[in-house]
Amino acid sequence: MQKWSFTGGRRKSADGSWLKAALGAVVAILALILWAPISAQAAPAGCAALQAKYPQWKGKTLVNAVNPHTPGYEAIDPKDPSKYVGFDIDLGEAIGDCLGFKLTYKPVVFAALLTTLASGQADIVISDIYATKERAKAADFITYSKVFDGVLVAKGNPKQISGINTTLCGAAAAENTGFVEVPLVQDMGPKCKAEGKPEPTLQLYDNNANCIQAILAGRADTYVNDVNTVDQAVKANPDKLEKAIAVTIPYSVGIAVPKDKPEFRAAVLAALIEVQKAGIHMDLLKKWELDVNNFKEPDILTAD
Amino acid sequence: MSLFLHYLSLPYLLEGIELTLQVTALGLFGGLILGLILAWMQLSRFWLLAAFARGYAVIFRGTPLILQMVFAYDALPHIGITLPAVIAAGLALACNEAPFIAEMLRSGVLGVDRGQVLAGQALGMTPAVLMRHVIAPQAIRTMIPAFGNESVSALKNSSLASVIAVQELTLRSTQLASSTFDFFSIFFASGLLYLVLTGAVSVIQLGLEWLLDLDRAKNLGKNQRKLADYLPWRRVDLAARLELAEARAPAVEISYPFPSEVIDLPPLALTREQRTKRATIIARNNIAVDVSELRKAYGAQKVLGGLDLTVRIGEVVALLGPSGSGKSTLLRCINHLENWDAGTVRVGGRRLGFDEAGKKLTPRAVANERANVGVGMVFQQFNLFGHLTARENIAGPLRWVHGMGKGDADRRADELLDRVGLSHRADALPRHLSGGQQQRVAIARALAPNPSVLLLDEPTSALDPELVNEVLEVIRRLAIDDGLTMIISTHQIRFADEVADRVAFLSGGVILEEGPAHEVLTRPRNPVTARFLSVMEAGKAPEVVR
Repeated sequence: MQKWSFTGGRRKSADGSWLKAALGAVVAILALILWAPISAQAAPAGCAALQAKYPQWKGKTLVNAVNPHTPGYEAIDPKDPSKYVGFDIDLGEAIGDCLGFKLTYKPVVFAALLTTLASGQADIVISDIYATKERAKAADFITYSKVFDGVLVAKGNPKQISGINTTLCGAAAAENTGFVEVPLVQDMGPKCKAEGKPEPTLQLYDNNANCIQAILAGRADTYVNDVNTVDQAVKANPDKLEKAIAVTIPYSVGIAVPKDKPEFRAAVLAALIEVQKAGIHMDLLKKWELDVNNFKEPDILTAD
Repeated sequence: MSLFLHYLSLPYLLEGIELTLQVTALGLFGGLILGLILAWMQLSRFWLLAAFARGYAVIFRGTPLILQMVFAYDALPHIGITLPAVIAAGLALACNEAPFIAEMLRSGVLGVDRGQVLAGQALGMTPAVLMRHVIAPQAIRTMIPAFGNESVSALKNSSLASVIAVQELTLRSTQLASSTFDFFSIFFASGLLYLVLTGAVSVIQLGLEWLLDLDRAKNLGKNQRKLADYLPWRRVDLAARLELAEARAPAVEISYPFPSEVIDLPPLALTREQRTKRATIIARNNIAVDVSELRKAYGAQKVLGGLDLTVRIGEVVALLGPSGSGKSTLLRCINHLENWDAGTVRVGGRRLGFDEAGKKLTPRAVANERANVGVGMVFQQFNLFGHLTARENIAGPLRWVHGMGKGDADRRADELLDRVGLSHRADALPRHLSGGQQQRVAIARALAPNPSVLLLDEPTSALDPELVNEVLEVIRRLAIDDGLTMIISTHQIRFADEVADRVAFLSGGVILEEGPAHEVLTRPRNPVTARFLSVMEAGKAPEVVR
């Protein structure tokens, strides 16, 4: 709260007032120092009202189920493996700060994210999961990000794959179990057949690392996933991997909450709006070097 | 390499070991307890329990552990049971291990020689005592390698807990690999950590095998097995054991079939006058064993067909007859090691198998009855408890069944071993004794509680010919010196003639002919008896007669 009124001051410093400019500089330095734990410190102004409106989560510790295999979104901190770091982690904590709850993390395989939520072993899922109608049968979603996928291939793109299209025919695609890309690749089967080409084969793995290894080991030709994840993989293996192209996928990324807790859904939605209004969402995209075009105003996606 | 070493010593991974061990421990101990219950149910007399245990095994052995983990973690909450991840993983692992452990326990228990179980029952051990002192100690020894296997497998299976968010070694490794992209150094490091853990299990297993090795424990002096003998490149097992056994058996024992104390005794055959005198005394004695109208069949096959037999105190009765004539079954019924279909068995006036109200006794009550009535039994196959020394074979049952103190029991054992000429072999294991020596220990064991009747079921049939006499000599002395009531089934015609007061010839589950030993054996009235005796005299095996 405090810090955000100061940040207001920084904006005013643009007016030219010397004193205010000096104060603004101090605050700017302060802000820089406070940059890293931004989510821990920051709680937008509207949050006080939200905490008053939804007092039942204040002071609580909730469980966030994550599939911590996507560096940039959620992965353990290589420097301190006891911590989870990434955009989703920070965003979740910003929402938590706004409503007054803390988060602990439960690492599960991707396909188990919604099961874990439905069984009550987790309270919320913020784990780069795409909100689809199909998945909305298991949980309600509050969408917060657009989806851009990258096509990861071996260096030189030997099979000349250019996206989820007929260039995939006859290729082997590695995917995570439960990912939305799985049916998209499967849908190419009939299309390839129609062109008289062999169908693409699908290799299902448990996490990103295994999908990437499949390409490195020459078992798979491509791995289509979130563009940031693909970029990270290329960064780690620049002489062996490359990103063929970025493709848009008609989905949004969403926060999953239990279906039987509409009030919690409303509270999270309201908090996300506050967090976005305060500019935190955008700051976090920059902090994690994600494309700011990912930004999306929140929506609710349910099964009905 | 440096990355590998970095991850090998990374506290984050090392802490994962703790959870790996927690899940494994929960799985193994829970599995052991559940497995014990399941094994007990399967071995139970009640078919419903056994059926339930079978059903459990079918389900939990037949479905993948990963599904069971997910079930314990994600499905149980829907019925209101939300377990912490570690507990859910431990529960699933325990439920999965249980049927495997139960089968190990069951095969361990069933693997213990049936004869020893029978001998324990004959000594009046209740099922619980039998389990604790005879079956379990031997079963556990044979089960250790299987338990080692199971522990290693449980340790590796604990990695499946990673699917339900238990932060154990595997889950930590995969997460670390995802965030650092150092795939191989991390998995090599975690693989090595698993190897260290499973290696530790192997070391514990070998240590236990060494600790429980009977050849180590029994004062073998310089021949004692050393821990180093268990190293994989050492080849000591069979050859060394034989060597050990021979090293322990004094050379004299091998050259002379039986010890000098026994051999030197003058022959104990009775004169005609002595026999007559003995017969008159016995005729005035009370009845020790009274079998009347005893009937038993195994399915359609009749074994005992309304058999009557009365034995007086001090009398020695020899049961003769071809194999399958019902001799052994009769003896087992007298000791109530077998049930019968109709008729009564009374020992010392007491009707066996039923309480005062005429109700059938439970196995436990039957055991107590055996101990109280005092019927000792000696078996064809000796049936000594394989894990106990000669002394302990005798002293153990005295303590466990008759509540004798250790000092008294050991004294009694030594005294009896002395009587059968085996004082010098008191600390030997049965497998280090010759057949004749084993049977002498078995006789001493049967005599230890001062039985009122001693039953001997073909006591020399399993012995090499040169070892037969040492055993017969011991029995002869019991009959003539001690006046012990004995019922002996035997194929030794001459021995029966010398020792028995009366001979009963069995065929087809009834007594065809009985009477004073010398009379029946020399002048049989029944043609079947006559033919049997003539064949036996000709030195042929009794089986030929059938």
